[in-house]
Amino acid sequence: MSLQIKERPVSQGVVLEMVGDLTYANREQFKMSVEAIRQKGCRHLILHMAEVRFVDSSGLGLLALVSQNFKLSQAKVSMLKPQSYVREIMSLANIQKLIPVYDNEQDALAGQPKAA
Amino acid sequence: MSSPSVEHTGEVVQQTVLIIDDEPTARVALASRLKRLGYRVLQADDGKVGLDVLRRERPDLTILDWMMPEMDGPSFCEVVRQDPDLLSSQILMMTSNDQPEQIAEGLARGADDFLSKAASKYEITARVQAGVRAAGLIKRLEDVTTEIRQKQEALERELQSAARYVESLLPASGTIGPGVQMVRLYRPSLALGGDLFNVVPWSDDLLGLYLLDASGHGVSPALRSASFATFLRRESLLRHVGSSDPGAILTEANKHFPLTENGHYFTIVFATLDVRCHTLSYATAGHSGAFLHRKSGEVCWMARPNLPLGFDPSTVYGTEVLSIEPGDRLYVLSDGLYEVPDSTGNLWGQDRLEQLVRMHGQRPLQEVLSCALDEAVRWLGHEQFPDDVAVMAVEID
Repeated sequence: MSLQIKERPVSQGVVLEMVGDLTYANREQFKMSVEAIRQKGCRHLILHMAEVRFVDSSGLGLLALVSQNFKLSQAKVSMLKPQSYVREIMSLANIQKLIPVYDNEQDALAGQPKAA
Repeated sequence: MSSPSVEHTGEVVQQTVLIIDDEPTARVALASRLKRLGYRVLQADDGKVGLDVLRRERPDLTILDWMMPEMDGPSFCEVVRQDPDLLSSQILMMTSNDQPEQIAEGLARGADDFLSKAASKYEITARVQAGVRAAGLIKRLEDVTTEIRQKQEALERELQSAARYVESLLPASGTIGPGVQMVRLYRPSLALGGDLFNVVPWSDDLLGLYLLDASGHGVSPALRSASFATFLRRESLLRHVGSSDPGAILTEANKHFPLTENGHYFTIVFATLDVRCHTLSYATAGHSGAFLHRKSGEVCWMARPNLPLGFDPSTVYGTEVLSIEPGDRLYVLSDGLYEVPDSTGNLWGQDRLEQLVRMHGQRPLQEVLSCALDEAVRWLGHEQFPDDVAVMAVEID
């Protein structure tokens, strides 16, 4: 399964709407999209995960890498509405410790630790 | 007009044409014309002799008569197309049988091109050149294919040699400590696996056991795993960590093995078994871990949600401690054994593995592992696991 990525600028950052699988096969595409956003000076990247069906071990590594790289740029990464299966995969690796998870965009933008 | 020769690695090679025709006049006349054009010309007066010459000389082009005693032109073509050594030979059928249906039959039975005996000398020359050109292209394709195959074979030999090295790092099944038996299962999904496990003999009654999984597949994770396994040797751990405490070991390893620039990392479960005090201490980093199958029948999974190694350099990994009884069994395993999909994508899963262990867990360790592997293969529908399968099963007497 491929990955479609669409950028949507919001007032304090960029929402990255993803459809498909975040896996080894799609790693370059994800890395390039995210890196381009970071280099444009984005302060807050919100990964919209509602349409992501599967994240494999490479995908988890990429999420950690994105979180580290944005931190180095004094920017932050949040995650929006991961599906329950993806949430389960991420919880074993405790990804929410690095990337806060939200159930709606307003909370993500406000940085309110509401969901998870 | 271009010269009928090719330059191959600096050496000019004269091109060869074989003429097979039982009519000496026509054959000799064509041979003379082609010789004048600069070709090396071989001749045969029927299909059978022609086949022998074709095998021996491998000419660039064969010009073939249709009607001949012994073996006619179309039969010659059929034999050539069924012979793996000859099948790419270029054949130009030259005959007075030049009705459309005959042309179609000649091509269908294996000729590459067709030329009427009534053709002008210009057309004959042009067709011969076209045939030789096609033969040159096919030869280049064959040479490149052979080169790729040889390189591929060399690469596979290298990978197998590396795989043997990785396997040599794994402990053998058998007694690993006083009253402690271990049986292992290892099935890399590719030639080279990213999963590694081993035993760290701290002292007579203190045993370290670990299983690590490098993300990704192939050469790079195998190399990273081998490097990590070197870090996890007893002497190295004593030097870098100075303790057999699993949490302290993972906390230190986390600093030594950061996320790679491509986002690759390790997950690991590390356990220390104290045979004298009957305790099992363990720590995990993003690993689905291990489980204890107690003699009482209880199954206790040892995974804790926490970050894989390299995700956050400030992570402190904690140690959990379990008491163990004689007869308890510890399974340290990668998720490759149970995260196997059936044809609809449904995973076999931890729960089914746990059920199997509850049902067959009293049998000898080797049988339990074989049983689990058979069941996973049955669920998967074939033997090619999507991920590495690695298990260390340990029985404490």
